[in-house]
Amino acid sequence: MDIGVLIQILVWGIYAGCIYILLAIGLNLIFGVMKVVNFAHGELLMLGAYAAFWIYTFSSINPYLIVPLSMLLIAILGIFIERLCFRPIMGTGKLNEIFLSLGLIYLFQNLVAFLWSTNSRYIRSPYGEVVVHIGAIKLPLDYLIIIIVTIVFLIAFQLFMKKTTTGRAMRATSQNREAAALMGINVERMDMLSFALGSALAAAAGSLWLISGQMANPYMGAIPAIKAFAVVIIGGLGSIPGAIIAGMTLGIAENVVPYFMQALVAVFGYEMSFTGWKDTIAFLILIIVLILRPTGIFGERGE
Amino acid sequence: MLEIRGLNVSYERVQVLWDISFNIEAGEVVTLLGSNGAGKSTTVKTIQGLLKSGSGSIRFMNRSIDELPAYKIVEEGVALVPEGREIFPKMSVLENLILGAYASRARDLLKDSLEWVFNLYPKLEERKEQLAGTMSGGEQQMLAIARALMSKPKLLMLDEPSLGLAPVIVLQVFDIIKKLKEEGVTVLLVEQNIHHALEISDRAYIMEKGRIILEGKGSDLINNHYVREAYLGM
Repeated sequence: MDIGVLIQILVWGIYAGCIYILLAIGLNLIFGVMKVVNFAHGELLMLGAYAAFWIYTFSSINPYLIVPLSMLLIAILGIFIERLCFRPIMGTGKLNEIFLSLGLIYLFQNLVAFLWSTNSRYIRSPYGEVVVHIGAIKLPLDYLIIIIVTIVFLIAFQLFMKKTTTGRAMRATSQNREAAALMGINVERMDMLSFALGSALAAAAGSLWLISGQMANPYMGAIPAIKAFAVVIIGGLGSIPGAIIAGMTLGIAENVVPYFMQALVAVFGYEMSFTGWKDTIAFLILIIVLILRPTGIFGERGE
Repeated sequence: MLEIRGLNVSYERVQVLWDISFNIEAGEVVTLLGSNGAGKSTTVKTIQGLLKSGSGSIRFMNRSIDELPAYKIVEEGVALVPEGREIFPKMSVLENLILGAYASRARDLLKDSLEWVFNLYPKLEERKEQLAGTMSGGEQQMLAIARALMSKPKLLMLDEPSLGLAPVIVLQVFDIIKKLKEEGVTVLLVEQNIHHALEISDRAYIMEKGRIILEGKGSDLINNHYVREAYLGM
């Protein structure tokens, strides 16, 4: 086994973990405040990627500068989704929320396929060819940028939730909606904000993914969304630290474990690649956690 | 200060309040008494805007508030300490109190208000970094009252503040209400602890099955034949 390669794979894992974390935190936030599970969260990632793609195609400015713009657009879309779709059915039962968000998946996937075809789209990062050398280790600059950007987002998000009046009001709403209203908090505005913020984080994940070399197509959101749900469940519903740890674990495990497996069979003289096992490993972890600790690592009892 | 006329409220299709009318003058402590299910909590929740009234009017400081959502009624100067306290368990005591001053009317007065409630409850200042959910029931009740006071309410409504508390703590709760009355806070108290409640009230209304059946001065009601028989067991 080559340590340099291992570290490289580790960085890929962290990079994948960042995407899952950005998605999972949005899911957690929306669930926390509204108690709604938005299954169409992956489609917000997809739309964020498309937003970045089109803005880049028409402006060709540095794609990293497009990320905030894409976040803003999808945040506005999120507000519309909350207002027009989720608010009218709030309190009418979980089944309605599930069907509604499943419907949104098909709506957005097919709308995008209809408008912009199912062709894969990609953009060239200006740093696509840049590789950072640390000793013998080669790391794509794009991956490092994404990891740093994610860390910055997480810190900003945490500061917002802990230190600002609005962040505190959102936490209050997620802990006790009625008591929050008694404090003079407009809880419906908090719903709207949580949806906008969650959508923006999904758009950040989508556009960062696109910039780092992933293809955009109408169905790109499905797998990351399922992974993000796994992250939410593993980390514990509603727990932000849980989501960060679970997201990192999942991202690293699904990249490093195939490498170990490859090294293992190499000992017996076989040469096989296990990179196709990524998703299997991710969901195996989910199953194990659900068996050992159904409430997730940081989860609480109840609900 | 508060004037309620002909209030009818229904849950789903079941009517729970029937033609409720009463009023509270500034500076008064008024108690709603009655057994479980008499409609006391429903009454205060409707005033606060957590429940919608079917018909009737609620006027506060000569403004109609029955169409306003709860958070706007807080801005008008009405605060409710809900039954079961409903503090934010995963936040510190201090954060709970800061949230109490969320209303824009109260936000600028945060420092003064903190000083005020820490004066009333010195224990809260000692515990201000503690997670609210880890405090005892009595401490949580104090926090809930203090948190409501942080909004600088003109009218403070307390829904069964003595529920489930040890007798010593119950006395402390009533002491605080007395203190608040001395400071000029108008109080609407919902209680089952009739003896204590009547002692500190100027006036009281007795509710049964969603209607007000009796009203009078606190001191008169303590000696009222019906009250003694039905509620005090004498």
